[in-house]
Amino acid sequence: MVPEEAAATVYRVQDEVSLLRASLEGETEAWGEIISRYKDAVFGLCLGFLRNRADAEDLTHDAFIRAYVNLRRYNLEKRFSTWMFTIAANLCRNRLRYRRNHPVAELPAQIRGGTDPAKIVAADDRHAAIREALNELPYGYRAPLVLRYYNDLPYREIAEILAIPEGTVKTRIHRGKAMLKQRMEERDPA
Amino acid sequence: MRTARHARWIGPVVLLVTLGLSAVAEIPLADYEAVLLAIPVSDLGRVLGAIELGLGQPDFPASETMQYLDRLAASRYSAPEREALLSDIVVALEEGLPIEGLVTKGLEGLARGVAAAGIQQSLHQRWVLLAETRDLLYAKGIFSVAPGSPQSVDTALPTPRFNLLVTHISDTIADYLEGGGSPFEGQTLMQEVRFRLTSLEGAILNPADVELVLKRIEPADLTRVALSAVS
Amino acid sequence: MRPIDIDDVLRSALRQEVAETAAGLDGLEERIVLELGERRPRLRVGDWMRQLIAPTRSGRIGQLSLVGATAAVCLLIGFFAATRFSLDGGSPAIRLEPSRNADGTQEVLFVLPALDANEVAVVGSFNSWEPTTLSDDDNDGIWTASIPLPPGRYEYAFVIDGRWWGQDPLADEYVHSFGEYSSVRYIGGGDGA
Repeated sequence: MVPEEAAATVYRVQDEVSLLRASLEGETEAWGEIISRYKDAVFGLCLGFLRNRADAEDLTHDAFIRAYVNLRRYNLEKRFSTWMFTIAANLCRNRLRYRRNHPVAELPAQIRGGTDPAKIVAADDRHAAIREALNELPYGYRAPLVLRYYNDLPYREIAEILAIPEGTVKTRIHRGKAMLKQRMEERDPA
Repeated sequence: MRTARHARWIGPVVLLVTLGLSAVAEIPLADYEAVLLAIPVSDLGRVLGAIELGLGQPDFPASETMQYLDRLAASRYSAPEREALLSDIVVALEEGLPIEGLVTKGLEGLARGVAAAGIQQSLHQRWVLLAETRDLLYAKGIFSVAPGSPQSVDTALPTPRFNLLVTHISDTIADYLEGGGSPFEGQTLMQEVRFRLTSLEGAILNPADVELVLKRIEPADLTRVALSAVS
Repeated sequence: MRPIDIDDVLRSALRQEVAETAAGLDGLEERIVLELGERRPRLRVGDWMRQLIAPTRSGRIGQLSLVGATAAVCLLIGFFAATRFSLDGGSPAIRLEPSRNADGTQEVLFVLPALDANEVAVVGSFNSWEPTTLSDDDNDGIWTASIPLPPGRYEYAFVIDGRWWGQDPLADEYVHSFGEYSSVRYIGGGDGA
């Protein structure tokens, strides 16, 4: 990391700690700032885990409420993102089981309007294929993949969030990618 | 030179430590693969992957699982029957559910010489109950976290303790249903669960965990869980 | 598709997906702030401590009542703890203990009167349902075995000359399994002995 980047990161972390301290004092505006910084990451996690937009929105909201209410349980010296993502992941696990009994339609397949649908669809075909394959992947394989490839988290943090050993994280990611690849090749043996 | 002297015995020490660790280590994956090939399973990758998932958990019943696979391979069941006797365990592993109760039940069925369909029916019902019981605990705000991790909320239990609750609550309901009990008798179910959990309190269940669960679940919850397994 | 491709495709696909569906996040922070209103994060034990050393005069009055209340609570907890079991699987000291081994297992006696039997064994969840033979060395028709078991719940049945029999009079409980009876014992803790 370049010195300026390092300095910016340090500033940002210090800044985050101040925001969290303020939130603990009941300054909900400070918590609002935390939300704006983390909402995309939390939403992406939920969307990746649940494969359902409405649920992902619900749970993003719930995660920030729950985190605020339980803020005193959070140790300010530890990484906030891990704690925040753990809460979101737990909520997702809950919702996923509920959804098994009360299913809704999955995300619609990639269909876009525009001037040349065929061309656009062709360009996005691999995206569509992998998103569909992701829908079919068992949760145990999908969750670490999302944390790795959307949230860009190191194995150690993924292990903490999902409450599994680091070695298992690596194995699941490796196997998960193999399964995605297999499903995509079945769909389009090009 | 001092550094050279230290360097000389580091090697043997590392070797000893590694040997010691591997002596304590679980059954290697290759052994599972060998017996799965002997069964044989049609989707080796998937089953092996599921076992690998399970191996990552501290409470994975390695030797019982291996015994189950060995006995399946040596049994008189047909290949499709053997697959059926594995399918619910595989799914349970993929979903991160504790499989100890499933494997024990499977071993019992094999030992009793029960027809494959009968064993599979029991395993399937028990798998559903494991999943539904876990849902129930989540719905009641009780979660699991990796042992040693900081708790995100008050009611986050280390995974092995959480799994024991899931195992014993679902096992109680399974026994009850298999014994002919009606899922609609929530009060009776509640008594059964209360009896099981308090009987194991202090033995293998943490009393605070038992208290937490018994405070939060109600007869209607257990009826709902039981119904999910019979419908 | 080479593995390298998968990484990139996965990464960009997930990002694109979020970009397409994230419209619902607009204004989320405002909505939540509104919802939280005057709410403060839940109090924890540490906050009691902070209030106990409150420097202000009005704080002092609250401080005294807090000290009293805290002391009373501590006394109650201490009293309760003295009469309570330990949390880590040890049995309460008051109970009579059947013989315990150094490794935490308990010697569990399986006894079956079976006068005309040639072979008696016990199968159960503690031995993966593989027979452990009982012996009747003095030929009085009483077959016994002593098996060391760690605390827990065990289902089992006897096998008498090859036939399964699951209603041990010494069992704590019976269950119906695969249409037959099994016996159950609870070892260590609760009401198990």
